[in-house]
Parts: sequence; structure tokens; C-alpha cells
Amino acid sequence: MRFKDTATSRDTIQSVERSFRILEIIGDDENIGVTDIASKLDVPKSTAHHYLRTLESLGYIDNDDGTYSLGIGLLNLGGAARSNQQLYHLAKNDVDELAAQTGEQARLIGEHRGYEITLYQSTGENLTEPYDPLGTIKQLHCTAAGKAFLAELSKPELDRIIEGIEFVEHTENTVTDPDELRSELRSVHDQGVAYDDEERYEGIRCVAASVGSKDIGPYGAISVSAPVERMDNERFRGAIPDLIQNYAGVVGVTTNYYWAEDSFE
Amino acid sequence: MENSLTVGIVGLEPSGTYYADIFTDLGHRVMLADSDPDQRESFEDEFETKTFENPDELFRSDIDVVFVSTPNKYHGTVATEAMETGYDVLLEKPLAATMEDAERIVETAERTGNICMVAYFHRFREYCDILKSYIDRGELGEIVHIDAKFIRRRGVPGRGTWYTSKKLAGGGALIDVGCHVVDLVLYLLEWPNAEDIVADSRSDFGHRTDYRYLEMWGEDDEAKMYDVEDSVRTFLKFDTGTTTDIEVAWAANVQYEHSYRIQGTDGGAELRLDNNPISDKSTSSLNLYEVRSGGADHFADSEIISGSDQGYEECYEGTVKAFVDAVRTGDRPEKCNVREALATQELIDWIYRADKTGE
Repeated sequence: MRFKDTATSRDTIQSVERSFRILEIIGDDENIGVTDIASKLDVPKSTAHHYLRTLESLGYIDNDDGTYSLGIGLLNLGGAARSNQQLYHLAKNDVDELAAQTGEQARLIGEHRGYEITLYQSTGENLTEPYDPLGTIKQLHCTAAGKAFLAELSKPELDRIIEGIEFVEHTENTVTDPDELRSELRSVHDQGVAYDDEERYEGIRCVAASVGSKDIGPYGAISVSAPVERMDNERFRGAIPDLIQNYAGVVGVTTNYYWAEDSFE
Repeated sequence: MENSLTVGIVGLEPSGTYYADIFTDLGHRVMLADSDPDQRESFEDEFETKTFENPDELFRSDIDVVFVSTPNKYHGTVATEAMETGYDVLLEKPLAATMEDAERIVETAERTGNICMVAYFHRFREYCDILKSYIDRGELGEIVHIDAKFIRRRGVPGRGTWYTSKKLAGGGALIDVGCHVVDLVLYLLEWPNAEDIVADSRSDFGHRTDYRYLEMWGEDDEAKMYDVEDSVRTFLKFDTGTTTDIEVAWAANVQYEHSYRIQGTDGGAELRLDNNPISDKSTSSLNLYEVRSGGADHFADSEIISGSDQGYEECYEGTVKAFVDAVRTGDRPEKCNVREALATQELIDWIYRADKTGE
């Protein structure tokens, strides 16, 4: 075995960037054609085609008569990436129980580069499919889980992340003012629970609590979401927050006793 | 010191430090496994010893026995692994969080032949043994009824900590402090089987913002979990015909009390134990109530004066000494062995089920 040439020219990096950019474009827009991909990438159609053939030959995208979709090969990588997340192993069963107990969707999120990413999700009897695919990333300022996570950060870390947030107004309830967000995060910190009252999606309410330790900070958050008609004020402000805090507390302690958990797959 | 042991302590939640003090006072050495680096550092400084992040490393180092004081949920895993590795084990009470774990521990203890003892430390008060001797000699006649209470006025152990989580502790006031009462009642009655149970639990103090800590048992944690009972009342009927009332509370609007009123066909007794380790003075007492006829019919009420008025520290010490004796002789300890602890766990489990189903 020998090392390859490690000198990185601009071209090489650009091609890696472009490859991943293509995967992201296809991920956002399944069944897109080469023309649209080329224009989004701002490259000639022949160049795009070259990339697509390469990705297809590696098994990471599928080509159905000139329209492209993400290949199942990516699941292999995604599964392996998640498998490395200890939090996933420690919290998985609790997220399942939370979903079963509420009948709604429960999620475990981690933070990745200023976004929340769904590490695991489970659905209760009231839905058959999760609202979003596994691994979906969302902005931190508009979800209960994101706010629960942010509320436990140290000031410098919070400043750094808030600095990077583009405050998109997803609904009319979305908090778009950084100062207003900071003040809400202080109350989230005090109460130990965060709310999303139709701030990311119209008609969907969500409650979350962070998991982590006082000393180290948050590792992630767990949440329950449901349509407003199934999450009335009593449930939204009472029963569900209590339940989530119980589960989040358990996951938090569990992370200190990771060696005693035999939930590793 | 000759014959001194090195004790591998797993977890400091929170009695690990008390027991570490007792073990070292008795001339033994301690090591620790705990995932909290700050806890490890202060333990290293205080006991001039080595610590480890997880029990696997601890079990591979130079220790003789294991003391487990993790949250109840992990008793099963830690105790069985320790015994499988070949160590005798002392467990903080209760035996486990669930019946399944309790049975796993007992099975492992019996299969491996290792000592496994559970620290029901109140059993090491002299008053308990004295009372038992009066019962055994038949001086109270047949025991008809016991009225047992363990009530703290304000003593929920740190709301939002693992103590107030069903999944981590296995329950609330009953499994935390009621387990002592169940253990002692079963001991006094010679481990009878329960035939009938009525039980009712309440959770009144968990989310009250006006809760006041007058008896400190740890501070509220930042976590807000609270899904356990803070009081239980239960009425038991045993196959011997004896009945028992048990009332347990972490918090109640009455004076604190830890007492056992025993009614026999020929006499009675009242055992009061202090349940407040923070108070300097032990308030324990034992009184006997008899009826005699010399001269004229009369009541003869006597106060038992024991040689040592035992506080919590002496009880812990008695527990540790009994464990060390068992380790040295290789004989299952007479008090608080794993069989007794399993009987206690079974009754606790039944009380919880009776409360849930009203069966």
C-alpha cells in the first residue's frame, strides 16, 4: 500500500465539491434531469453528464431514462455515519417509547454545522409515515428541538451559532429576531423545555427537551410533534412537556452510564 | 492493616462517598469507577487512589470486592458483571430497579457462589435485633399486626434526579425508602408470604413550585423529570395471618416518623428509628408493652436501653463489617443476603402492581 499524491489542486477539490453538490441537488429534487442539474451547477451539460455517469457507476445515484434520483448506496454510508453516533444508541429505545406513548412522531436530533439533523425518529399510532425523512436538516431557530439544544449552549457557542443563522421566516410565527430568540432561549433554559408553536410548519406543534449533561453541555434533543388538532393547549403546555422531560432526563443520565447499556446493535 | 480489602466502588450516586469513608475508616482501600471526571478527580484527592471511567477497567485492576452505588437501573448489569468476573458484591439498596434485574442478580450470585449483599443498613441497629429477640422468644405472643411508617416531612431526594425517574430508579418513595420498611417488616415476621395487598400511591410534590427543602436530600437537578410516587399507603395480609399497614412518604404534611408498632397476642412493642442522618442526635427508641398480674393486674411498659444509641454512621459500619466478614469466611451473610433482598423486592413489586391495577 502506498499513499496517493496528497498535493491538492483546486481542480480536484472542486470536483469533489461538485460531486457532493450534485447529490444535494438530486436530494432536494428527485427525478431531476441533466439540463437542470447543469444549470444549477453552472457547468456545461457535457460536464454534468460526466459527473452523473461517474456517480451512477459508483452506485450513489440512479438514472431512469435521463432523470436522476439518489441511490440506495448512500444509505450504506448514512447508516454507517449514524452508527457512530453514541447518542443514537443510547436514546433510540426511549424515542420509540415516547412515540408509542404519545401516538405521535418523536425525534432525536443532533447538531451539525449550525443545523439540527434527525438522528432517529419513530412514529406512534396516529401517523404511518414520519413528516420528513431520516437525516433531514432544519434550521435551529424555528424548531423546538433546535431551541432546546441552543438553550443549553455556553454563551460563546450560542453567539457563534446565532451569528451563522439565516433567520428565515418559515411561517408567521417563526422567531426572526435574534434578540427575541435569545430571550426565548433563556426561558427555555429555565423551564427545561422548548416549544414550536407552528413556527416551522403551519399546523404543526412541537415540544422538545435537550439531552446532555450540565458539565459538558447538550448532546442533542428529543421532541414530539403533532398537528394542532391533536395537540391542544393542555397537551402542548402540560402533558407532553412533562413526558418529554422524563425521557430527556433518562437519556441524559444514560449517557453517563453508557457502558451499562446493551442497546448497541 | 492485615486482611484489608481493596473495594472497587461503581458510581457515587450518592452513597458511594459515605461508604468509601466507612471502608477506609475500617482500614480498607477504595478505587472508583464513575463517568464524571470532576467526581473522579475529587475522589482521587480525597482517598489518594486510582479511579476509572467505567467498571470494565475497574474490574481489570487490583480490587478484591465491588460496591455498587449507581442509579438502581444499573444494579443488574454492574452486579452481574462483577460476580461473573469473580468479585463478591455489596449493593446499595434496593437490590434492583426491576424484578427481572433482581432475579438476574440472584441467579448469578447462586451460580457463581459469590457473596452478594444488599445494604439495608437499618437492620444493623441494635434495637432491631433486640426487638426480634423478644418476638422470637414469644414474649409478645403471636404477632397480629404491624403498623409501619417511614415519613419525611420534606425529603424528596433531588427532584429531577434519577431518584424521581421510574425508569432509572424503578419507582419513587416506596423503592427508595419504603424498601427499608418492607425489609424490616419481613425480617421481624420471619419472611412470610403476602396473600393480599391493597395499595395506593400519590404524587403530590413533584411539580410544585412552592416545594420547600426543610430536610435537604439533594438539590433539584436541572433535569425536570418526575414520574414516580412520593407517598404510598398499603395494607398487607400475610399467609401467617399477620396484617401490616405501611405508610411511606418522601414528603407529607405531618411530623417525620420512622416507626414500627407491633401488636402481639401477649404484648406489644414500638420501635422508633431516626430517619434523618443529618441530625446529630439519634432519636431511636424501643418500648415494650405488656400486661402483668403480680400484686394487681397492671400494664408494664418498659423502655429498652441499648448499649449504643446508633446513628446512621454506625449502621453503615455494621453493614460493611457484615459484608467483610462474609467475604472473609465465604459464607452467605446472615443479614441482608441476596435471598432476603429478593423477597423484599418481590413484595415491593407486588405493592406497585396492586397500586396500578387495584387488584
